[in-house]
Amino acid sequence: MSPTPKWKPRGEMTLLNTGYARLDGPDKVTGRAVYSHDVRLPRQVYARLVLHSYPRAELTSLDLEPARRIPGVVLVEAQKAAGDELVYLGDDSIVAYVAAETPEAAKDAARAVRAAFRDHYPPMVTREQSLSPGAPSITGRGNTSGARDRGDEAAVDSALEGAAVVVEQVYELPIQHHVCLETHGHVVDYDGESATCYASTQAVSGSVDEFARNLGLPADKVRVLTPVMGGGFGAKFGIGLEGAICCLIAKKLLRPVHLMLDRPQEFQMAGNRSGTWVRMRGGIDAQGRLVGQFAEVDRLGGTGGGAFPLMPYIYACETNAARTRSVHTALDSNRAMRAPGHPQASFAQESFLDELAYAAGLDPVEVRKVNVESDVYRRHLDVVADAIGWDAHPNRTAPGEAGADGWAEGIGFGLATWRAGGRPGCEVEVRITPDGAVTSSCAVQDLGTGSRTLVAAIIAEELGLPLSAVTARIGDSDLPPSVGSGGSVTTGALAPALKVAAHRAREALEQRLVPVLGAEVGDYEWVRGRVRVAGEGDMTMSFGEVCALLGNQPLSVRGEYDGSLDADGSLHGAQAARVRVDTLTGRVEVLDMVATHDQGIPLNRLALTSQINGGMIQALSYGLLEERVLDAEMGWLLSDNLESYKIAGPKEMPRLRVILDEDDGRNLATGMAEAPVIPGHSAIANAIFNACGARLRSLPFTPDRVLAALAERA
Amino acid sequence: MKNFELARPTTLNQAVMALAEGEGAIGGGKGPAALLAGGQDLLTELKEHLAEPDTVIDLGRVPGLDAIERDGAGNLTIGAMVRLHQLEEHGAIREQMPVLAQAATSIASPQIRSVGTVGGNLNQRPRCWYYRNEASVCLKKGGLACLAAVGRNKYNAILGGGPSYIVHPSDLAPALIALDAEVTLVGPEGERRMPLADFYLLPREGGISTETVRRPGEVLTKVHVPAPAAGTRSTYLKFKERESYDWALSSVALVLGMDGARVNRARIVLGGVAPKPWRVESAERLLEDNEIDPRTVAQVREAALFGAQPLAENGYKVPLTKGLITRALESLA
Repeated sequence: MSPTPKWKPRGEMTLLNTGYARLDGPDKVTGRAVYSHDVRLPRQVYARLVLHSYPRAELTSLDLEPARRIPGVVLVEAQKAAGDELVYLGDDSIVAYVAAETPEAAKDAARAVRAAFRDHYPPMVTREQSLSPGAPSITGRGNTSGARDRGDEAAVDSALEGAAVVVEQVYELPIQHHVCLETHGHVVDYDGESATCYASTQAVSGSVDEFARNLGLPADKVRVLTPVMGGGFGAKFGIGLEGAICCLIAKKLLRPVHLMLDRPQEFQMAGNRSGTWVRMRGGIDAQGRLVGQFAEVDRLGGTGGGAFPLMPYIYACETNAARTRSVHTALDSNRAMRAPGHPQASFAQESFLDELAYAAGLDPVEVRKVNVESDVYRRHLDVVADAIGWDAHPNRTAPGEAGADGWAEGIGFGLATWRAGGRPGCEVEVRITPDGAVTSSCAVQDLGTGSRTLVAAIIAEELGLPLSAVTARIGDSDLPPSVGSGGSVTTGALAPALKVAAHRAREALEQRLVPVLGAEVGDYEWVRGRVRVAGEGDMTMSFGEVCALLGNQPLSVRGEYDGSLDADGSLHGAQAARVRVDTLTGRVEVLDMVATHDQGIPLNRLALTSQINGGMIQALSYGLLEERVLDAEMGWLLSDNLESYKIAGPKEMPRLRVILDEDDGRNLATGMAEAPVIPGHSAIANAIFNACGARLRSLPFTPDRVLAALAERA
Repeated sequence: MKNFELARPTTLNQAVMALAEGEGAIGGGKGPAALLAGGQDLLTELKEHLAEPDTVIDLGRVPGLDAIERDGAGNLTIGAMVRLHQLEEHGAIREQMPVLAQAATSIASPQIRSVGTVGGNLNQRPRCWYYRNEASVCLKKGGLACLAAVGRNKYNAILGGGPSYIVHPSDLAPALIALDAEVTLVGPEGERRMPLADFYLLPREGGISTETVRRPGEVLTKVHVPAPAAGTRSTYLKFKERESYDWALSSVALVLGMDGARVNRARIVLGGVAPKPWRVESAERLLEDNEIDPRTVAQVREAALFGAQPLAENGYKVPLTKGLITRALESLA
């Protein structure tokens, strides 16, 4: 028996490396899938948080009695006491919580709570307010933190003396929301001795301890269930204060408690992608090579630190320096969000490099190629440039002009990077019964990415079975453990464990075949539901007949992560966008987006393409529409629902094309979550400039900004 | 939302009387009432407690409000309960009044257009986020000042503003006003008919807690659209920040009577830029007896935005609207 299996060559795979639909698709589109939000248990109560609507307010009095008088109300409790300051707009805004027999009664009760406040203006919700002279300290620890100087700014300026062109500009990105379709929350069913927690979480195994701690139970008395979930994007790791309160209520009432945030609460307290302010200064030589780059970065993560990777981002520049810090505002902390910090860095770096290229009269694709270290990027740039039609495009070294009709068309580019592969932490059980039923089990969650389908597919591939012959069980902490889904690790962590378990299951079955068919373990071929001795003519036994050899004892094997089966090192990618701009109205239409990313083995081409499409769509939405709007005088979140916090819809969708990288020779597993979301908005901004010379240095690219940038050019 | 009693009148008179009672036009001592047509605006008002009626009067069982009638001369009478999608799909409207069909199609989403009504669209309340935010007490909700005037006002009015700076959200209204439509209102004291243009009020004309001249107890029952003269061309151009589903940042309803290349009659009504549909007669006069040439287009768009007074964040609406007017005129030339 071989202790370490290897992935088959791609050409020999019959299911993996093809495209196949997700197993739970029909349940999801027909509404049969039961999300945490949908859980309804006997005796369940509905809990609701009471949030105040602006930060930096001192609670002077709190009257819960009117809420207690609402019919159907079961519980009303204070979260804050008179004299407490609500420091920031977020989970610190929770003044009380209620539970009732119906969601309607809970909402009425939440509104009936009477709270009075003394205001501490200004609300300090913008960078400018926080940095203004004499600004009060929001948390008492100063309004900036984590300041770090790297490199020698003076050396950069010396290097720039030899530059052909030098550019200095400021780029700004607003706070972005995750916009999980399923808002945060849980249903906790606690009976005094044990608990079942229906959690909308990115970490089924990882949530057990936190629920147990909050319920005062040993971890082995807590079961977390997440069979399906409506998106996380990084915001759903911990159980949150809403989870802790849900546990408190459950303990108090000994009844199942349903506590889900509504959309305004979600936008107020469930995390976000940090905003960013970046000043870039640097230059290139006549060949387009970066000779020096300085970046000054303010991460705007509310009370959190914000996220931003090292500069220069992706591109190489020997003489570089950066000054970074967090500037705090009285807003909820940022959380991880799909490639934390990278889309922000991409926008600053890609816009800046683009500005330098055009300032020098150089082709921005060529300038990119000159400044990347990896040939993979040069190859990827060629692929997307070819697909988007760059060579035939009339303006490659200077922006175009609008035609007589006022419309202008342009093309732009951006690159992506992420780490490849997974990490230890997943285990898988494969169970085969004598009647031929195959079950593959892992606690892993499926955020909507297709991990459930993978749990079945790798086993099916190994045993030569159709996908439908394997039952996947996931989203249950009683199953073998899984890593949490963050940092694109799920596939790289899960696929090796599945492969090892599948391999062991196959070998265990082959052992039963030795006395029957005579060949040694490892000398069998499993194809289309039948098995034969390798290379020997006709199929000799069906899968069912093999399983019957198990007698009355089911087969159960486990597999665990094996680092030789997933990729390491880096992932790369390039994206291109073609836009048209109405210079009369400021309308930006994205016509076409093309992406290529290296992905190791395409374990499911459909899921992979869907992930990359999703990345492009999310970046397009970030670039064109998404903006958290606050009233800086009052501290109110004005964009508190999906009417005013706009995300792209069907009519914003361009032609989306994914070109899988067939030249990536790594026959290893890796995920594809973060990389594709990184460069799309940068490519769109660069395409707008290429079209008409309007340089968009802040997101989103709405007509106010586009028209202002056009006026600036003119 | 607050609990309410659902009234389901089966005659217009019952509906009017119930509304009149709830709105204090006649005695009876009932608390506030609200009309339910398609519910697409009312439900959002109820859920945010912007409206807290004791009685919701469902117009769904009142006969005679849900038809589009066309007389021999081609004049249309559109019932208040006609669904928005019916306008989109109506052959005569599509052929003879593209401005109205296009305006209907531009509204919200197919789901909403399948239930939203003509009467509801014309009577909808503003979308300003200060008005819609339950926590804020803005001028329209009895507060002392328009919070958008000094706050975040990218979506607010550039024309006709003050003391409130809302924009009227209806897409049908500019199109119908450009078609010289009239409306019938039925109230406890009888029926009256007026040009739709006169139905709307500016804040400085008294339109603070309301946007219309509708009196207590009055129900808008019908819209009358005269048949366009031969040679009429029309279009509705709406700029949505999110094309899939949005209100207008700005819109232009343009109806031109043409004699060959010459304009003999013009209506230009702007949406999304003022507290009421904004007809610009000075710009219309510049078009009349002229051809649509670049010089005329430039004069028309300047005249249409004359007097615009942008707030801090909505100055872009001036060039945007000029651009839309240009595009609209080009499309009919």
